[in-house]
Amino acid sequence: MSAEGGVQYSKIAEIKGPLVIVDDVSNAAFDELVEIETNEGERRLGKVLEVGNGKAIVQVFEGTTGLSISGTKAKFVGKVMEMPVSKEVLGRVFDGLGRPKDGLPDPIADKFIDINGEPMNPEQREYPKDFIQTGVSVIDGMITLVRGQKLPIFSGSGMSHNLVAAQIARQASVIGTQDDFAVVFAAIGVQYSEAEYFRRSLEESGALKRSVLFLNTADDPAIERIITPRVALTVAEYLAFELGMHVLVILTDMTNYAEALREISAAREEVPGRKGYPGYLYTDLSTIYERAGKLNGRKGSVTQVPILSMPSDDITHPIPDLTGYITEGQVVLGRDLFRQGVYPPVNILMSLSRLMKDGIGEGSTRADHGEISNQVYDAYSRAQEVRALAGIVGKAGLTEIDLKYMDVGDVFEKEFLTQATDENRTIEETLTILWKIVSKLPKNEITKIKDKFIDQYYQGK
Amino acid sequence: MTSNSSLEQAIDKILEKTEEEIVSDLKNSKTTSIQFLDDSLPKLEQEYDQIISNGKKEADKIEKQITGSSDLEARNKQLNIVEESIGKVFTKALEQIANAERSGDYSNLIKSLLEESTKILGTTEVIVFTNSKDRETVQSALSQFSGAELSSETIECLGGVKVKSKDGAMTFDNTLDARIERLKPLIRKDIATQFGVSN
Repeated sequence: MSAEGGVQYSKIAEIKGPLVIVDDVSNAAFDELVEIETNEGERRLGKVLEVGNGKAIVQVFEGTTGLSISGTKAKFVGKVMEMPVSKEVLGRVFDGLGRPKDGLPDPIADKFIDINGEPMNPEQREYPKDFIQTGVSVIDGMITLVRGQKLPIFSGSGMSHNLVAAQIARQASVIGTQDDFAVVFAAIGVQYSEAEYFRRSLEESGALKRSVLFLNTADDPAIERIITPRVALTVAEYLAFELGMHVLVILTDMTNYAEALREISAAREEVPGRKGYPGYLYTDLSTIYERAGKLNGRKGSVTQVPILSMPSDDITHPIPDLTGYITEGQVVLGRDLFRQGVYPPVNILMSLSRLMKDGIGEGSTRADHGEISNQVYDAYSRAQEVRALAGIVGKAGLTEIDLKYMDVGDVFEKEFLTQATDENRTIEETLTILWKIVSKLPKNEITKIKDKFIDQYYQGK
Repeated sequence: MTSNSSLEQAIDKILEKTEEEIVSDLKNSKTTSIQFLDDSLPKLEQEYDQIISNGKKEADKIEKQITGSSDLEARNKQLNIVEESIGKVFTKALEQIANAERSGDYSNLIKSLLEESTKILGTTEVIVFTNSKDRETVQSALSQFSGAELSSETIECLGGVKVKSKDGAMTFDNTLDARIERLKPLIRKDIATQFGVSN
């Protein structure tokens, strides 16, 4: 940081949507931070999107409402947007641009870091294989999250994804290590009540102490949403790779981020891609998701749980579709389960954690974890088939074993899937319930578990 | 007489039989009860363990809530106190800068500020603004910058200059206030370190 400031230009050529086009500009740089000063002396932040031919296109984060061509000034600050970071950010609440929102002063910075981050060197990446306990049975038991993984939650409008997000943020922990754990929570374009719920929920559970909150509410300018995940990840990377903490980043709702990206793209008159989203949506999303991981020789890790609500519950929509290409699995919330009042309404048949196999088993969770999980997955899948069959032939037409599978399906949903929002289950408790489900079946139906585990844990007759 | 004795015998027999039945029933009930108790003992133990474990969980949760919020409250108070002290140091420092003598060193500073400003704007065809106190110093330094003029208007600042291109398109704020503002985060950190606050 230097004392040198930037030049202020007063020739505004055009204001178009969230963009301001400044004329007669020399020496501006791509991504440079710009301070826009209104007629009334109000200051807003923006960044340079394009420079050339003496013009600079500036994207104003706080929107262009109230700006006029005459009297508006643009000061090119001479640096990119930076986030001040230090350990002091823990327990703090910021807005979507990283400014304090809790009435406390700016944190005293240890460093100022470019919010765009730097892509991780693939050669330096360490394969993620350490378990994170979320306290949510269905995730820990069957879609296990590991440190350094990026595991999105695909939800739909009105479903309980925010409750799940808050519960994970409150309960998540690393077991079997004394390493520090932190949660960075970025709310993107959420309602005020939801933002308040996240803040209060972390505060009342005592988890705020180890968390950093970034709250961009629905009434904040949409363009700010482009910045929110980036400032959150900048803080996460600092905590992980400079202070050696294991950091869980929860980003909700990434659909609002993509909407903001579409708005800017439309204002720039770019050729639209699928559903009007820019053609570079995949690349842009990857600049966020790929900031998760572990680095060789560094103690900490950044784990990401982005949450996105699928418009019309459509999993082929560009946002979940492209997200799925980048991330390592997905947790899908099901509308049917939600309607039945099941919480968390996770549809395990559509969900998957690609890194689960490396994060579970002896030494991390329990030796039988993988096999019991596979057996329950198989049994629940069969239960769904039997339910469909019962819908046609009626229960009376089912065989005895079919009825047992139906029972498995019911117990799975009522006792394993269903969990109170403040219920924090240990992995041992989760595995015990999984065995209870499997024990509903006769031993000869258990084909995916070794005999020694059946002898040890099977509770059936 | 005989009929009475056989009646008594019959009654005795019935009583004996009933007694035997009652004793046997009692024995059976006792065995069943013991069996029942034996069976429910592990279940009770399990439930007892569950209650204890739930209680412990709840206690841990409450402990976390209490320690978490009190730690945060204490930290927030400390932040506010540090900030207040930093504010006081700043005010004092700004006062000293405003009242500092405009000696030879200061005219050198003004020269370098003008040099920096014209270099960044890319022209010496500029109008220079300063406060009333620094007008003379700035006027004498301007002789080295052909085309540069001192504005008749003065601005409110601690010192330094604000330079505007003559066409009005570009402005460069090189006042001491602007420079301090830009460096404020670093200065705050230095002051906090002096107070013994470190990250």
